[in-house]
Amino acid sequence: MSDDHHASGSHMHDIEAHVRAVEEDLEYYRAKRLEPRIFFLARRGIVTLYDIIESGAEVKEPTVRPGGSLEERVRALEDALDEYVRSIGLVTFDLVKVDVVIEDTRKERGDYDDFFRIAKKHREGSLEERVGALERDIATYMRLLRAFTQAHFAKGLLDAGEVARRREQLAKPGVSHGPRIVARAWVDPDFKERLITRGRETVRELGIPPGRLGKLGVVENTDAVHNVVVCTLCSCYPHDLLGDTPWWYKHDSYKTRIIVDPRATLKEMFGLEIAREREIRVHDSTSDVRWMVIPRRPAGTQGMSEEQLAGLVTRDSLIGAGEPREP
Amino acid sequence: MSGRFKVGDRVLVKRDAPGGNPRTPRYARGKRGRVTAIHGVMDNPLDHRGRYPPLYTVAFDARDVFEGAGDGTLCVDIHEDWLEEAE
Repeated sequence: MSDDHHASGSHMHDIEAHVRAVEEDLEYYRAKRLEPRIFFLARRGIVTLYDIIESGAEVKEPTVRPGGSLEERVRALEDALDEYVRSIGLVTFDLVKVDVVIEDTRKERGDYDDFFRIAKKHREGSLEERVGALERDIATYMRLLRAFTQAHFAKGLLDAGEVARRREQLAKPGVSHGPRIVARAWVDPDFKERLITRGRETVRELGIPPGRLGKLGVVENTDAVHNVVVCTLCSCYPHDLLGDTPWWYKHDSYKTRIIVDPRATLKEMFGLEIAREREIRVHDSTSDVRWMVIPRRPAGTQGMSEEQLAGLVTRDSLIGAGEPREP
Repeated sequence: MSGRFKVGDRVLVKRDAPGGNPRTPRYARGKRGRVTAIHGVMDNPLDHRGRYPPLYTVAFDARDVFEGAGDGTLCVDIHEDWLEEAE
């Protein structure tokens, strides 16, 4: 699995993987984040479908389809997806006058009951055709989102100043403090012990704000045990500390398989072979306790600085879906 | 903070907890496991409507959960109203 599908500058060596990641993320954010919110507010008459249509009249046409090579088009899609995800974050933020908790959203989007699930769209055909379909879809998805946002302003549900402040915050890429936390745990056993027992509070020692998304659960990989993390009901993750999750973390192919046959799943999806004699523990995260993995320190890293060690820690290794890089 | 169970207790997950929150994964319902950590009452106003009872990490043998097909251990965080003592 690609560990850095948003890495810029370098050449894309597997365009299909990039396209698949965009497809998965786009449908996830539409069907799990945006549309359940629309239904939730429509059911209660807070923002009706008619409010959205009316506000839609004011929405400008989104940017035209970019030309260029396939690779350039895929990069443009990734940027459009980032904008879509950020903009959803703005409308799903606390409303001024509406009492809504995340549990309500989970019910609405079918996390607890398949009946409520919103169908995801699957795009078939050649790579070229899928990219074309994504370009069209992302533009129409964006129009609905803009109209929905506009309707919030029209109804006085969102505070414009707060939204501007939040947009600025969201424009910064999600920072992962995971590598620094793991590197410190590798070199300082007392820190590691405190991290495992006290979680979030401990990261203050590194000057990292501890965040506020539930309790941080920390498990350590050893020669006897390999830990791997999933959230079978939704996609809970300590993203305030560790940055965004990879697309597969939110995907059913990972969520349903990893709990039944983790050994085969890790091998087939990630090329990660876990020795027969090591027990595999799968941790099902909730929003109350969000789990992270301390991977095993690679051999041959004696004498490396903490900063160099942090450079070996990958996003997948914090979930237990990969090992750190070899030095 | 203190709840009914302690680390090491054998527990049975209820099949249904009508008054309880809906968050317990379906695969764990009706299964037996062992308490491995106590988290206490989690204050989570962003997520929950009201306060939920104390939370525990319960470890299950995956083979029990998936009737022989599973592998390894499943660690699931479950609130107290879903749990009862297992014989």
